[in-house]
Amino acid sequence: MTAPFLHINGIRKTYGDVVATDHVELTIAEGEFMTFLGPSGSGKSTTLYILAGFQDPTAGDIRLRGRSILQTPSHKRNIGMVFQRYTLFPHLSVGENVAFPLRVRRMGQAEVTEKVKRALKLVRLDGFEDRMPARMSGGQQQRVALARALVYDPPVLLMDEPLSALDKKLREEIQHEIRRIHQETGVTILYVTHDQEEALRLSDRIAIFNRGKIEQVGTGPELYAGPATHFVADFIGDSAFLAGELDGIAGDQAGLRFADGTRVAGIPLHGAGRQGQAAELMLRPERVELTLEPGPQGRSLPVVVEDMTFLGNNTTVSARTGWGAALTVRLNFGHPLSAGLTRGDRLHIRWSPEAAHAFVKG
Amino acid sequence: MPATTAPRLRGSGFGFALPAILLLLAFFVIPVAMLLTRSLTEPEPGLQNYITLLGSTTYAKIFFNTFFVAGVVTAITVLIAFPVAWTLAILPKGWAAVLFAVILLSMWTNLLARTYAWMVLLQQTGLINRMLMGLGLIDQPLQLTNNLVGVTIGMVYIMLPFMILPLLGVIQKIDPAILQAAALCGATKGQALRRVLVPLAAPGIASGALMVFVMSLGYYVTPSLLGGTANMMLAELIAQQVQSLVNWGMGGAAAFLLLVVTLGLYAVQLRFFERGEAG
Repeated sequence: MTAPFLHINGIRKTYGDVVATDHVELTIAEGEFMTFLGPSGSGKSTTLYILAGFQDPTAGDIRLRGRSILQTPSHKRNIGMVFQRYTLFPHLSVGENVAFPLRVRRMGQAEVTEKVKRALKLVRLDGFEDRMPARMSGGQQQRVALARALVYDPPVLLMDEPLSALDKKLREEIQHEIRRIHQETGVTILYVTHDQEEALRLSDRIAIFNRGKIEQVGTGPELYAGPATHFVADFIGDSAFLAGELDGIAGDQAGLRFADGTRVAGIPLHGAGRQGQAAELMLRPERVELTLEPGPQGRSLPVVVEDMTFLGNNTTVSARTGWGAALTVRLNFGHPLSAGLTRGDRLHIRWSPEAAHAFVKG
Repeated sequence: MPATTAPRLRGSGFGFALPAILLLLAFFVIPVAMLLTRSLTEPEPGLQNYITLLGSTTYAKIFFNTFFVAGVVTAITVLIAFPVAWTLAILPKGWAAVLFAVILLSMWTNLLARTYAWMVLLQQTGLINRMLMGLGLIDQPLQLTNNLVGVTIGMVYIMLPFMILPLLGVIQKIDPAILQAAALCGATKGQALRRVLVPLAAPGIASGALMVFVMSLGYYVTPSLLGGTANMMLAELIAQQVQSLVNWGMGGAAAFLLLVVTLGLYAVQLRFFERGEAG
């Protein structure tokens, strides 16, 4: 077996007693777009900084094409990076900013001019060579930063929340540009964000970070359909969680009992659980259906309708379970139930077998 | 209406500045004007004071000494102050405060006391000579006082805070991420210093250098105590002319030339840096 293109091998970083990352293990294929997704302080940026060489890991190794890069100082790693803050050199024009990596490599002027031109064209800023960074918008500055990071053809491009300072519309526009640039250049990208939508939109695969560890790695659909942990289920998609306790475990499926004695059954169980242990039922809202009759094999719950909001293409129904937990269900426009629904109606929610997951608490 | 309120606002601002303006007028502008007048009228009307000053080799040497020492002091001060300011900017807060206090304390200590201290350290049997001889680096004590070497050492020490403070101001404003970006772009530490850090710190270097150079041009205490009579500088010449020789014409002419040079340098700095910063 050949060595993986990029191998983050058991990286651990501690500051005194604080563990920033703990045994982060990941392999990345050449040309892949890998996103580190997680809340702030989850270790995703620390991992990126270790890749950049700004920090040394306490333990572990990083190998690029089979060779460790940890002994190589930042300026010799030949890695590109776009930062969260604007880091263009304010005293240099756009052209000179992009030329900077080539100038420090003592490249000839003709080649510099040619490469700068090509890099600016790639980010659709051709003709901006003489503009000063201070006279450009935030979005333009980050595009110049992208050109500067790509102009020396680095094997790996690191991006540390590069769009977090921009407004939503601009962010989507540049996300689109980043996707296009990834496809055009084939560069391997490691992208850090806390925005799940951004991660889903851009990435080939996503690594979910939590408390210094990777909880799960997979494509967007994989993570959405098969979350390995409660954290992943909560972080990707907006799901409903109902707290109860395990009641009747059969193989990898479990039943749950709730506060008022209501039972559900046949739920895929994540993690080892004991009878009576606290657990949560997770339901993906778009796979939950409002019906007049209970579903088969315990895959349903009785609810009382509390409120309805018409939102054009759907009606959002707020409902409450028998023990008082709140749930929302969407009825598509034209759904037979949406017309006659009133507050206080007693109905059932039911779900297809793959839409529910049970997570052991603790 | 904005057209009428704006001038009134400007007028009230002028009111606040009035005491300072009156003070400057009474104790600076008028005396300078008197000095200029006396330099052009004593002992008799004409430019003879200026012609003597700019024409004779004795005075030329004094001018050379003054500008040479001021230039060397400025250059050495920049070279020492830059790493100090950088250290202050990147040290953890507590340590930076300690280092900063040391710098300020030395600045607040009496100037004469500090200069006499240097005389003690630099003299033939002083600590520095004895240490160098003890280490076997020299056989004979070095002549470190009563010459321009002593003046330069003493002035560099006194001028350092005036260079460190403006440098610290600009360096603290530089985002460390910009230097990280330079490193990932492939710049060595030296290249990052030359191509990024120094250009970004240039306004601070310029204003610190101007301050140190101008202060050095007119410095009196240190050159007279450490320089000896053979190595006179401009301020000593002015003092000598006015105090010993009661030659207000010559003293005034020298003082006025110094003022013109200072204003000229200030104009150059304004032209190249202040406007660039605003734009």
